[in-house]
Amino acid sequence: MLEIKNLCVSIEDKQILKGMNLKINDGEVHALMGPNGSGKSTLSYVLSGKEGYEIVSGSIHYNGRDLLNLDVDERANEGIFLAFQYPMEIPGVQTSFFLKTAINAKRKYQGLDEIDALEFAKLIKSKAGDLDISPEMLKRDLNVNYSGGEKKKQEILQMSLLDPSMAILDETDSGLDIDALRIVSEGVNKLRTPNNAFLVITHYQRLLNYIKPDFVHIIADGKIVKSGDFSLALELEEKGYDEISKSA
Amino acid sequence: MEINKENNHKSVEDISAKTQYIIENQNPFRNFKLENYKYAQLHKKIIPKNSVRDFKYFRDIKDLSLDLSTKSLKSVNLRSTLDNWSFYSNDSYFRVESLIERSGSLIPLDEFEQSIFSLDISKMTENITITKKKEKHQTIILLNTNVEDEVPKSILIDLSDNSNLDIIHYNISNHKSFLYFESKQGNHSKLNFITFQSNNAHTRNEYFASLGSHCHFELSGLNFDNVGVNDNYSFIQHLKPSSSSREVFKSIVDKGAITNFQGKIYVDSIAQKTDGYQMSRSLLLDDISKANNKPELEIYADDVKCSHGSTVSQINKDQIYYFNSRGINKNEAQKILQKAFLSETLENISSVELKDFSLKLLDNLIN
Ligand SMILES: Nc1ncnc2c1ncn2[C@@H]1O[C@H](COP(=O)(O)OP(=O)(O)OP(=O)(O)O)[C@@H](O)[C@H]1O
Ligand SMILES: [Mg+2]
Repeated sequence: MLEIKNLCVSIEDKQILKGMNLKINDGEVHALMGPNGSGKSTLSYVLSGKEGYEIVSGSIHYNGRDLLNLDVDERANEGIFLAFQYPMEIPGVQTSFFLKTAINAKRKYQGLDEIDALEFAKLIKSKAGDLDISPEMLKRDLNVNYSGGEKKKQEILQMSLLDPSMAILDETDSGLDIDALRIVSEGVNKLRTPNNAFLVITHYQRLLNYIKPDFVHIIADGKIVKSGDFSLALELEEKGYDEISKSA
Repeated sequence: MEINKENNHKSVEDISAKTQYIIENQNPFRNFKLENYKYAQLHKKIIPKNSVRDFKYFRDIKDLSLDLSTKSLKSVNLRSTLDNWSFYSNDSYFRVESLIERSGSLIPLDEFEQSIFSLDISKMTENITITKKKEKHQTIILLNTNVEDEVPKSILIDLSDNSNLDIIHYNISNHKSFLYFESKQGNHSKLNFITFQSNNAHTRNEYFASLGSHCHFELSGLNFDNVGVNDNYSFIQHLKPSSSSREVFKSIVDKGAITNFQGKIYVDSIAQKTDGYQMSRSLLLDDISKANNKPELEIYADDVKCSHGSTVSQINKDQIYYFNSRGINKNEAQKILQKAFLSETLENISSVELKDFSLKLLDNLIN
């Protein structure tokens, strides 16, 4: 699915990622944990193709293709999805309109006709219902005056509608209450198939109790310092980043 | 062009003595030279991009056309009307002899049954004075969509107490267009003016609004995709207590076009409890285009609520990125964001059909 090799990335001449290696196979869930400022969001932005990041060296391959050659929208239409740590507010654009536009962009890319109004209404009703998002919410401007948790749910709704093959969740659990955390996790688990993969960025083991990762990686200062299975998350909770990084 | 200086110093009963003193002791031309950027450059020949005259939605609107032939319209003299009204702005470009001396027709709205009708002002050469006395809500569509026409238009609106009117002005596909609009509102009346400007070469529109007590005046403007210079000048005067005004202008400029907005809220010393709001926002799509926004407040009463804001910015790159990250390409994202930016100005069109029409028109012109 995704192979990151020796990736070095800098922002405005400041090096942030310093030789990242990560291989994610179809059907796998990987968790990425690490202290504030270690480069987790930077990695997620680079994967989605955001401007302003200089790839100093290294490579990213996605299903055998050089990901770095694709534009942001192409990557999205090829199945890369990033649930943002800080979702953008879009005043003046109704949420449901945005969702429909995104669905149609993907359909167009796949050579399909636009989704018909009835089909869209049905689809959105069921997906939003699963996440406990009210129809009124969808009539509001996208993310405008949404609470922190509502924004995160909105990201997951978009993910479930776009049905990506490689989803990156950047601290989706931060800001969610206990019930929302469970609902969102169920939403993610429902999407899991042998053909897609997830990279879950989080600070808390709690999320990983719901979304069981196959691998846990610890990133510090721009590179992965330790990888393991779920037990690494437990160990981390106990010992903290400092000790784990040292023992690596 | 000559500015009629006499009109700048009109003495009017409505204005209190304090205000009168201030007017008389100010130099009327204090900023004229410095601000000549804001006047449309009449000598330049620029042709708008394309014609939308055959745009199908306009055919529907033309069907609503007001049949003036059935009425024998009274002729009015604009000068005598204006002399009785109360403006004294230095910034009007239109208070020129040629405009004022032209003959004018009086349209008494109460004599027409329709609640929505259109008036094609493109070919109009006379001045128009519109009067309304009854409460019944009506909507007038002013069509100004003639590429060839360059005659300045003047429209005067006289609303009696309690009357209620919407005006929607489509100012589209003109070489040069000038509109002088002046309204006088009686107590408890409501006037809602929307101006939709696109695909013009040079335009200058002036709005002078005079409010009685407990009145509401609303002015919403959008302009985009113009070439040349687009000017909007407004002067809203609160002369009696407890009236409110709300003004929102949005513009998008690209390819070297210039948009200018200058808007003044004036509150007389007796106009306590005035509630005035003004917002002008411009989006620049490139770095060769210009937006000059100048909000002005002139307040002589102490118990008022007046606010204004003005922004000039570019399309937010992070928002574009957000769209892109959901598979929506840059071009489409930009169009959606432009529409989102402008559509606020169409929000308060009373007629649902006309609101839909206007949103469709916006959609169509942006795509
Ligand atoms: N645009 C930028 N300009 C300069 N420095 C930046 C920029 N964006 C990120 N950085 C820096 O890069 C480093 C990594 O940031 P990043 O957001 O990837 O951290 P993170 O691991 O996601 O942290 P957190 O857990 O707090 O979300 C930080 O030191 C941050 O200050
Ligand atoms: Mg982060």
